[in-house]
Amino acid sequence: MHRLRAWFLAPARLVNLVCFVLPLCIVLAYSLLSRGVYGGVELPWTFDNYRRLFDPLYAGIFLRSLWIAGLSTALCLVLGSPLAWFTARADRKRRNLYLNLVMIPFWTSFLVRTYAWMFLLRDTGLINTALMSVGLISEPLPLLYNNGAVMLGLVYGYLPFLVLPLYTSLEKIDPSMLEAASDLGAKPSTAFWTVVVPMAKPGMRAGSILVFISCIGTYLTPDLLGGSKTIMIGNVVQNQFTAARDWPFGAACSLVLMGLVMLFLRSDEL
Amino acid sequence: MRNGKWISAYAAGAYLFLHLPLLVLAVFSFNASKFTVWEGFSLQWYGQIFENSQLLESTWNSLLIALASTMLATSIGTLCAYGIWKRKAPVLSGSLYLSLVTPEIVTGISLLALFQWSFRFLGLQLGMHTVILAHVAFCLAYVVITVLARLRTFDAALEEAALDLGATPWQAFRLVTLPAILPGVIAAALLAFTVSIDDYVITSLVAGVDSETLPMVVYQMARRGVSPVVNAISTLIVLGLGVLILISERLQR
Amino acid sequence: MNRRLFLLSVPGALAGCMRSRTKRLNVMNWGDYIGATTIRDFEREFQVKVRYGTYDNNEELFGKVMGGNSGWDVVFPTQNRVDPMRQLGLLAPLDHTRLPSLNNLFPRFQKPLWDSSLDWCVPYMWTTSGIAYNARLYHAAPESWKDLWDERARGKLTMLDDVDDVFGAALAKLGYPYNSANPDHLRHAQREIVAQKPLVRAYISTEARDQMVAGDVLIAQTFATTAQLAIDGNADVVYRHPKDPFAVYCDCGVILRESTRTELAHEFLNYTLRPDVSAGIAQTIRTATPNQKAFELLSATARANATLYPPAEVLDRAEWPLPLPPEIVRLRDRLWTEVKAG
Repeated sequence: MHRLRAWFLAPARLVNLVCFVLPLCIVLAYSLLSRGVYGGVELPWTFDNYRRLFDPLYAGIFLRSLWIAGLSTALCLVLGSPLAWFTARADRKRRNLYLNLVMIPFWTSFLVRTYAWMFLLRDTGLINTALMSVGLISEPLPLLYNNGAVMLGLVYGYLPFLVLPLYTSLEKIDPSMLEAASDLGAKPSTAFWTVVVPMAKPGMRAGSILVFISCIGTYLTPDLLGGSKTIMIGNVVQNQFTAARDWPFGAACSLVLMGLVMLFLRSDEL
Repeated sequence: MRNGKWISAYAAGAYLFLHLPLLVLAVFSFNASKFTVWEGFSLQWYGQIFENSQLLESTWNSLLIALASTMLATSIGTLCAYGIWKRKAPVLSGSLYLSLVTPEIVTGISLLALFQWSFRFLGLQLGMHTVILAHVAFCLAYVVITVLARLRTFDAALEEAALDLGATPWQAFRLVTLPAILPGVIAAALLAFTVSIDDYVITSLVAGVDSETLPMVVYQMARRGVSPVVNAISTLIVLGLGVLILISERLQR
Repeated sequence: MNRRLFLLSVPGALAGCMRSRTKRLNVMNWGDYIGATTIRDFEREFQVKVRYGTYDNNEELFGKVMGGNSGWDVVFPTQNRVDPMRQLGLLAPLDHTRLPSLNNLFPRFQKPLWDSSLDWCVPYMWTTSGIAYNARLYHAAPESWKDLWDERARGKLTMLDDVDDVFGAALAKLGYPYNSANPDHLRHAQREIVAQKPLVRAYISTEARDQMVAGDVLIAQTFATTAQLAIDGNADVVYRHPKDPFAVYCDCGVILRESTRTELAHEFLNYTLRPDVSAGIAQTIRTATPNQKAFELLSATARANATLYPPAEVLDRAEWPLPLPPEIVRLRDRLWTEVKAG
């Protein structure tokens, strides 16, 4: 069994080594070098990039990112769980179809999807026009370019990351277990807490981690739906590698971000 | 234990939410104007797809890359998740999680640096292979996490029973465990496909001369405004893949 | 690992061998930045195969070509990246004997600030930054950058999501150079930007186009080419060059040092300098050509279009953003981050 397990892990170890561990070493080296005049890195070695991170400006941005990512994750859990439940409870033959229905919108380009949202949300957009034509509002609601729009974009974009893992856990629940529980006189709520929740936990945990991690590194959604008026930690990192041309600082930022997120997740066993 | 009325209504609402932008972009793919202002029905953007060889080629590349990396990542990732489930591999699983946390631009730049540096000695160039490799790497964590979520609800006693009955460990995995976790594997493959087909930042950095993908073409239009041709081709892709899914559903019955 | 890479690269290598019979050229340009048939026509005339790729910002281009083995021959950086690329040893010097059509350029573009005798680059297309507004729905015609600080623009105003131009406008408003590298000027400008932020609906670049057409945004800092596209969609939109300094950007064709096909690369650059070719590209993508002979081929209305071709006395006010010293870039980025985080 041990030999088999080693073989099973080998390909993943190899890919991980080449495409993650080695590049990570490069990032680490970058973070300890000085910036090149036009991007890239130069000698000498320095800790300066880390020192610059001890700054209330970046701490504030990090905390806000945590807050937005946390809230989006919670929203995804609330909104996605019933959908995962529905899919898992559906007729066995239809489950894959329903699952595919969750994913299909995401086979279009992120950018055109987001532009579609911008069309829905803007002042002359579909939602405002519809509300105004039925007379519910007289002035367009400011739906686009605020934190609400950013959150909407994140929840929309990452909902599948929650639904899919949760579905895989819920799908395992045998309906007869729930029937048995109710036959034995358990209230539906008792059955829910004793049968469903324990089974759902691994999926909820996996899904929340995927959503949270994706949200915290995001940069395009705040730019496009938030109109770049707020900034998340992902934007800071992105910016160092583009307009600011400060790769070492960007590398240091991202390593610190990764470290902090890992601390945050440590309570979960990996 | 079937779905009740309320949950079905909720699901319908959720699907509407997910598909609303899709409807919008499909509608605009028939718009006579190139702006997001309705001016009348037109098929001009569909006509333009076939004049635009860059668009066609990049779509083909995208599908190819997504398919190849999904297959590779799903098989490697499923085996890996099984291995981790058997006995913890803290270093590996830790670094898989860490790879998810890495901002895309950092992954992209560092992979590019690694490729450029090592290819100088190997005499290779960036291309499809580097894109597929990068995609396998970042899809891997999604697959492992999703399959593990399923494995954690799997009763190990079943597999032990198979072993007691004389099955080899490989047989036990293939005949007992794998079928039981198949829904997880399918979900993981879907997730990997989705993440792969939509990736831009990493892809654009590790892509070579011959491996432009559709998201690259779309983002690169962004400086001057994305053309509705993209809406048209997105609509066709969704329809095409949707039909394929329906057919495979029928065949399974 | 090596084996996998090797296996994966076999089909690519085979395909490469099959193609190598016809001559090849690899050109990478900004997205959607060429005529519909430019590449096809070039291929036909010179019996070559062009691999045409695109990128969406200068940094992406930089990241790719910096390793010196990207595979591309000709790329089109903006003027302020030309000299950095030369200093990093990424560019091949141009051979003017192979570029007879250089004389077609406007004199202004034959001796540009960033490469005074065009030893390294060939101007391709150019545009300016300025103010677009909706002449029917906005209360007044903006004259200078300070009109973007008008309280009445609140919620109807967008600025470019570009640190160069947001700081540029604030600096010019204060009477400093658009491209100032003076830390005090930049700090002063930041206070202006912070004061303006409550009025600003969003910092967006091309997305402003559709919102100008739809009438959501009534006044915006934009590039002339974006404004031109909006004008094409909504005749109420007007583009103005402010009375203060504004920026002018020119994307330039360069040949990479790594290129082994410099002869063909020169042919290609020379091809883009042909009057009919350059005029065709400029008409398709709605921007301005630096090519005088091409300009003369345009229709009278196109030539008189002050959005794309401001009169000489207006263009004299323009500044060419050039590379800033690293410590200034760092300071400006920090100030910009403070604005956004505030």
